[in-house]
Amino acid sequence: MTQTAQCFHCGEPNPAHTHYQVKINGNNQDLCCPGCQAVAQMIVDNGASSYYQHRSAPANKVEMLLPEELQQLEYYDVDKIQEDYLKKGTQFNEITLSVEGVTCAACAWLIEKQLRRIPGLLFINVNTTLQRIALRWDNKKVKLSQLLKAIQAIGYKAYPFQIDQEELFYKQQTQAYLRRLGLAGLASMQILMFAIALYGDFFSSMEIQFVQYFRWVSFILATPVLLYSAQPFYLNAWRDIKHRTLGMDIPISIALLSAYVASAYATIFAQGDVYFESVSMFTFLLLLGRSLELRARRKASEISNNLLRLLPIMATLLDGEKQILIPAKMLKVGQIFLVKAGERIATDGCIISGASSIEESMLTGESAPIRKKNNSYVYAATVNISSPLTIRVEKTTQDSLINDIIHLQNDAQMHKPHIEILATQVSRYFVGALLIIALLTYISWLFIDADKAFWITLSVLVATCPCALSLATPTALTCATANLNKQGILIKKHHVLETLSAIKHIIFDKTGTLTKGNFKVLQCTTYANAYSKQQCLDISAQIESLSEHPIAQAFHCLQVEKINLNEIQNKPGQGIQARYQNKTLKLGHALFCQIEPPIKSSNLLIYLTLNNQLLAIFELGDELRSSAKKILQYCTQNNIKSTLLSGDISMRSDALVQQLNIDILCKGISPKGKLAYIQKIQRHELVLMVGDGINDAPVLAGAHVSIALSSGTDIAKNSADVILLGSDLSKIIILKDTAQKTVRIIKQNLAWAMLYNLIIVPLAVSGHVLPYIAVLGMSCSSLIVLSNSLRLLKEKH
Amino acid sequence: MSIIYILIPIAMLFVSIAVVIFFGAIKSDQYNDLDREGMNILLDDEPDVSVPKKGTSTHDE
Repeated sequence: MTQTAQCFHCGEPNPAHTHYQVKINGNNQDLCCPGCQAVAQMIVDNGASSYYQHRSAPANKVEMLLPEELQQLEYYDVDKIQEDYLKKGTQFNEITLSVEGVTCAACAWLIEKQLRRIPGLLFINVNTTLQRIALRWDNKKVKLSQLLKAIQAIGYKAYPFQIDQEELFYKQQTQAYLRRLGLAGLASMQILMFAIALYGDFFSSMEIQFVQYFRWVSFILATPVLLYSAQPFYLNAWRDIKHRTLGMDIPISIALLSAYVASAYATIFAQGDVYFESVSMFTFLLLLGRSLELRARRKASEISNNLLRLLPIMATLLDGEKQILIPAKMLKVGQIFLVKAGERIATDGCIISGASSIEESMLTGESAPIRKKNNSYVYAATVNISSPLTIRVEKTTQDSLINDIIHLQNDAQMHKPHIEILATQVSRYFVGALLIIALLTYISWLFIDADKAFWITLSVLVATCPCALSLATPTALTCATANLNKQGILIKKHHVLETLSAIKHIIFDKTGTLTKGNFKVLQCTTYANAYSKQQCLDISAQIESLSEHPIAQAFHCLQVEKINLNEIQNKPGQGIQARYQNKTLKLGHALFCQIEPPIKSSNLLIYLTLNNQLLAIFELGDELRSSAKKILQYCTQNNIKSTLLSGDISMRSDALVQQLNIDILCKGISPKGKLAYIQKIQRHELVLMVGDGINDAPVLAGAHVSIALSSGTDIAKNSADVILLGSDLSKIIILKDTAQKTVRIIKQNLAWAMLYNLIIVPLAVSGHVLPYIAVLGMSCSSLIVLSNSLRLLKEKH
Repeated sequence: MSIIYILIPIAMLFVSIAVVIFFGAIKSDQYNDLDREGMNILLDDEPDVSVPKKGTSTHDE
């Protein structure tokens, strides 16, 4: 049988000459890797192969977990760790996990089916929109790590994550809005039915008692809408009054309440007009706009929370000869712990034995690992790269440097400059004008015809349609946000789009933002004719094959052929030495390879020598993101100032500034310094900050608008207003363009609402607007605003 | 025409029942995942769903 081109499970191309097959639904299917094979076999064995018939998208490629990662899953069972993210009951435990790779309802069904066969599991629900799993289980019968491994076994990755206060708030709010909306909708339908009857001419021949009956019924139905559904408007209006500002909710509340009270008066005393249908429709439309806006923001906040994985941070405590694994937060000052190569350091401390390279890029922005030995200070969250270290705890995790940065971030968040958005400015003038006009109308009509004064004033308030005006901004923002969400741009704060459109200065972080944050061989120059470029790369990769150092990683991926080497010796901090064809091979710094004089470069230079004869020089550096050039070109073309704000002091920043044509360079700045710098320039102009590291968190929190990359650290993502999934910087261009389009549409909406009012107000003031004309006008202008906003949804890039 | 004195209160009763059911549905988080539930009817139709044994697939042989 010929091999199919694509993996049946994940849809990726099958490598040639491999034979991974599973019999699925009666046919042998080809698969691309042992991982996919194992998962597909598991699915078939569990009788869940109808997954393959019903799924609407191929699954993610299965990556087998390394033994350490499997080990890490077991850490989730440690009591002290579970405290952080588990809801513990007496009978059972509860948790919500974020899960990767759930693409359709069939995935959800598959996970539920797989887990339900585990004894001890009491409840499972997979939510495909949010990519989350809710679990409840009996702790005596099954452990959390077993459940995680079961999910792992069918090819999905699930992790505990951080649910922040904001998300809980959004959840309550959207549910409350949905209740209000549903009630308003159901009641409005009934009231409109009676209203049509009341408007109809055939009732002119009807006895007055039926008209009264319909009015009473409408009154009863409108009461819960006004008292319950419309509550948020009253509360917002009251808040505005207390703060002595004028907001859109004030005329809304006045119009709603006065129309209701007047209609109730009319019903009870059987005189005047009733407005119940306008009032409840008005409430329904407004609630619809607000709840859609809230939903879009809730979604963004949930997706970004999914990114904040809670990894169990453990430390190996040394107690005499014994090694005990404990949660990092239980470490006390003075205790001694062990950090193996490749592990993250648990808390701030001082090295007491061992020497190693430490990667601190997330704290300092310096991409090259730093050599540290006895008595050097190391920081929590940095990575120990090359060899084991014994460290004495100097500060507990609560007082570590990274926690200081979090405090700084919270501080910056609280003092974030307040930005006035367009709609509030416009509505302030509008509300002021409206209230004055209503008052003048009332006073003038008192002199003309005192009986009509109240009714005409009321029609002014209803007809002036704060509806279109208050829908203008939320609908446009919602459509734009939903569209951006689809393209992998998550908007977390509502002011973002309006502020972004006016931004004239973008500040970039260097390592991890403009660059990829890892080492790559940028250039290779050969000096001996006997060895080609590829041969030199092969030799270097072979000699580095045992090393975990980031520099070694840069060579690993370039190797084509294996080379025979003997006696590989690692000289920490200098280089690596080996025997090759009975000659001494050296790879390392200029001094180690005895090359003089060293060549100057802003990048890191690595020399390869054979019996002290130079073979090649490799130039290693932090590779630039391909999208960096695009975004900076965009800046130049659109007269946007650009600044590079970097934590490290290397020459690389200068080279980058020249290469990318960046206007201003500030290097060697601490997290605190970065924040101070941005606060200084924010006094004069609107600033957008783009970053990813822990050291960027405070400045991201303090900037007018900030963007974090999804590959960045959790703290950065937490404090940013926007998150770019996929770390493509050119998405900023899409974001900025969409922001400008959104603001244009908001302005059109506002202009239309104003125009409508200019026409209707004179008519209303002179007493020529009948109730149903007011309702018709209100609905039409709302629909025009809504369809204008919907254009943002269709925009393709 | 006087029938409306009975029919309309009945209609209102139905509306209030609808509201109560709707509130209950919101409370049970039914509106959190709108894509999912529609698909469920297509899945779960295999005979061995509740049999917790390995390797007893009907499609396997």
